Amino acid sequence: MHQEDNIDFDEIISKYKADPYDYVDIHSIHTGRIRFQVEVGSQVEGVSGEWRHIPGTTLYILNRERNPKPVHSPTNGEISFIRDDLEGQFVEAAEKIITIKHPLTKREIIDGILREVLYPFVAPERAKYFFSMDIQSRIDRYGQREVFVKPGDELFTMSLMKRETPIYYEGEPGIIHSNYFKPGESVDQGQPLVGICPKNTLPLIQRIITRVKAEWE
Amino acid sequence: MGITTTLSAARIEQLIREDEINYRNRSFPLETVLTVFRYGGAVAADILRFDKLERGMAHAKALIREHEDSGRAFSGGLVITANELTGGRGRFNRFWHAPAGGLWLTVVLVNTLMPASSALYSLAPGVAACETILEDIPAARLKWINDVHVAGRKICGILVETMRGAVSGEEYILLGIGVNVNNEKFPRELSESAVSYKQLLAGECDVNLIAARFLAKLAWNIGLLHYEENRILAEHGPGVLSDPARLSEVFTDSADHLLVKRWRELSDTLGRRVRFGHNVQEQPRFEARVKDINSDASLVLELDDGSIVTENSGEIVYLD
Repeated sequence: MHQEDNIDFDEIISKYKADPYDYVDIHSIHTGRIRFQVEVGSQVEGVSGEWRHIPGTTLYILNRERNPKPVHSPTNGEISFIRDDLEGQFVEAAEKIITIKHPLTKREIIDGILREVLYPFVAPERAKYFFSMDIQSRIDRYGQREVFVKPGDELFTMSLMKRETPIYYEGEPGIIHSNYFKPGESVDQGQPLVGICPKNTLPLIQRIITRVKAEWE
Repeated sequence: MGITTTLSAARIEQLIREDEINYRNRSFPLETVLTVFRYGGAVAADILRFDKLERGMAHAKALIREHEDSGRAFSGGLVITANELTGGRGRFNRFWHAPAGGLWLTVVLVNTLMPASSALYSLAPGVAACETILEDIPAARLKWINDVHVAGRKICGILVETMRGAVSGEEYILLGIGVNVNNEKFPRELSESAVSYKQLLAGECDVNLIAARFLAKLAWNIGLLHYEENRILAEHGPGVLSDPARLSEVFTDSADHLLVKRWRELSDTLGRRVRFGHNVQEQPRFEARVKDINSDASLVLELDDGSIVTENSGEIVYLD
């Protein structure tokens, strides 16, 4: 069966139109006593600045062993849920404490739909990532979407404390369609770095992009 | 003075026994010193010497592949040394000038540390190199992360790479160390930025003795990584192992990590105005002042507008 037959675009697009938001759950980063700095309905900003050096809105302060640590919003939006019953209490690590209702941009909606048809290759560790020299030279020469990768290809160099680690591609062979990282910026473990598209799926991807753009005009 | 010392595992053990243990014992109890050296004991378990090699790292990788392909385990601690590298390469495939007279080493280690500790691997060869050079050149200092310079001119460069064994799945840490010893002619582009022992001391040095001292000190500094990991885990209990987020926090909050502490003592990076970039020569990103070095050795930079950026990888150039 063709992949396009498996995807109900009308349903996906209706879903995004009815609720064009992403709900970002915030979990406590470690144990400690919590003091919230926002409430339901608060508008928050994400990290910004040319070097992503301006932190987002402070969401809460976690105090452990007299060491208060402010935790900032990773994205913009509105606080839609908060565990204010925990105010001033001791929380465990990884407890869900806040949800941010983030309004999706057209670009994010396209990326969201594409992630259902692209093969994501994720960061194995929190570090900085760069395309390997061979891949980068092919991108420079032919363009990203002309670069075909297959399992075993050295796709990235992971850099942490000036230690370089080659990262080899594992997954479906295909072209590098979407690039979710910026060289020089740290990427969290598990976050997608690129979306790989099998060659025969490319026309489908292009139809998705065209349709979403038309629907949102 | 020509090359007089034979570089061997026995010579390194002798240096540890006769010099290093006494030196470390000035700061730590003897029991701690012996424990740390036991942890670092694999360093220089075997030494391969060559007159000329294209690249030490490439040779080490080929040996690992050969072992892996034949189903044999590759034990850590191997040192590869060559009098001259004909195709030396640094980060970003930069040409690494490595003529006869310099010290060119590759050390292979098997990564048995947890991620929070192994992030500090890059510090150990820098600290060991700086401690070694300081024995003859008191002005040597560490520049983040692991370059050693004397009054702004680089005397030692270090390259750290990881390789995963295709069969065993082991993670190998490859340390490439280059020290300008008796070489004194540099390519024109390096003539103002590089310096050697011979230029600074106005005479030739025993390259193999410097190599042996470096490896003895590397054994200590690699041992410290293991010693500190065990100490921190013991202080926070085994439960911390099952909580990666907490584990990372524990290491980040451990302000007294002995290797990071030693790195701070040897570095002149704190407070300097710097240009930062992942590849700072070709793609500088911004200028800032170094405000702090975190306990995970990441660099805290203050931009001109007062905002703070923390970087855990990249390069800096001093501007003042």
